[in-house]
Amino acid sequence: MKARHAVLAWLAAAAALLGVFLAYLRPDLATTLANQIWNCF
Amino acid sequence: MTAPDTPKLSLTQVLLCGAAIVTLSMGIRHGFGLWLQPITMDRGWSRETFAFAIAVQNLAWGAAGPIAGGLADRFGAFKVLIAGSVLYALGLVFMALATSGMAFTGSAGILLGLAQSGTTYAVVYGVIGRNVAPDKRSWAMGVAAAAGSFGQFLMVPVENWLIGSFGWQEALFIVGCLALAMVPLALGLKEPPHAHAPGAHQQTIGQALREAFAYPSFRWLTAGYFVCGFQVVFIGVHMPSYLKDQGLTPNVATTALALIGLFNVFGTYTAGTLGQRLPKRYILSTIYTLRSLAIVVFLNAPLTPTSVYVFSAVMGVLWLSTVPPTNAVVAQIFGVRYLSMLGGFVFFSHQIGSFLGVWLGGRLYDSTGSYDVVWWIAVALGVFAALANLPVKEAAIVRPTPVGASA
Repeated sequence: MKARHAVLAWLAAAAALLGVFLAYLRPDLATTLANQIWNCF
Repeated sequence: MTAPDTPKLSLTQVLLCGAAIVTLSMGIRHGFGLWLQPITMDRGWSRETFAFAIAVQNLAWGAAGPIAGGLADRFGAFKVLIAGSVLYALGLVFMALATSGMAFTGSAGILLGLAQSGTTYAVVYGVIGRNVAPDKRSWAMGVAAAAGSFGQFLMVPVENWLIGSFGWQEALFIVGCLALAMVPLALGLKEPPHAHAPGAHQQTIGQALREAFAYPSFRWLTAGYFVCGFQVVFIGVHMPSYLKDQGLTPNVATTALALIGLFNVFGTYTAGTLGQRLPKRYILSTIYTLRSLAIVVFLNAPLTPTSVYVFSAVMGVLWLSTVPPTNAVVAQIFGVRYLSMLGGFVFFSHQIGSFLGVWLGGRLYDSTGSYDVVWWIAVALGVFAALANLPVKEAAIVRPTPVGASA
């Protein structure tokens, strides 16, 4: 039972991380960040 | 031998509330760069106005850290966390309303810097140190640090969406409300009045400070953390323009940023977990060695998108991984009574390093026409930090036994 909870927790964490990572690859954010970076420095 | 305080809050409560607070406090500030363009355009300010306020914020965060930590140790972390959350919300609201550069520096710089000193690692780690048994402390600090890393990773897309959907000013108001969510979470970290274990050494703040600064291991740790700040902030701020100089596209830099954020979560958690099993000085020394090696390989390998991604992933693993072992060693040596204050002093050194990393990066680029010199300074500092951490004595400091302690 404990092991199953641990596996579920890790899967949830991995899914959250993957979801956020994919958000960075969305064209609108990529463009904003890219402009931000180049414009700043 | 320093007698540990008896844990008073449950591990789950401390971890959930502490991690959520650090996720918000580290996350909200991480996306401030997204407001640069809309604010400067709308207000008609130069980029320097915005950048100056953020620089002041970083210095205020570092300088106020020992004071916030001392207040947390003395009067209770939850009070400092609540004050920090309210300051955070006020700072964001005033940042939205500021119409002059000075008002912007006062809100986005000073108020938010003070707010961060009261809501980030040093204060939360004090609660973790006092309420988590030593055999799980480094791991617990790793969990909190990973939460902070996740907050940084998460909030950039969230804040970008808020600005795009509601406008930059309304987005700041919304994020201000989000900062207030730290208030109820802080109540979950409310500790009963200090009840020290029998035989625990009682010190004043002044005695604790004199003891720490007279102890070589504390000075080595502080010096090492300076290097951490220098390297991380130099790379975070200047790598994009380095990549641009080398002819890579903006998308490469964006993906690199995402990879650093992603691998940072794994790195901080792993460092905390390893700190439970291995001597922390070796973990720190290894982290600084690997950073220097990674930079040397990156500079000498052919520069391609793939090499940038590999470097970003490696640096991501090493990014904030110094946080759990550094703070855990401080707790191990000096005990947890003044952990927030001492952690605040070590972090101040980190922030001075951060400031110099940004400033020297720009200064030397302007004077030499490239980042080469600063990259090699970062390598040399990494070697220095790797060596500086080796002589750190992790055992609890030996203090005279208090009168009547054995009774």
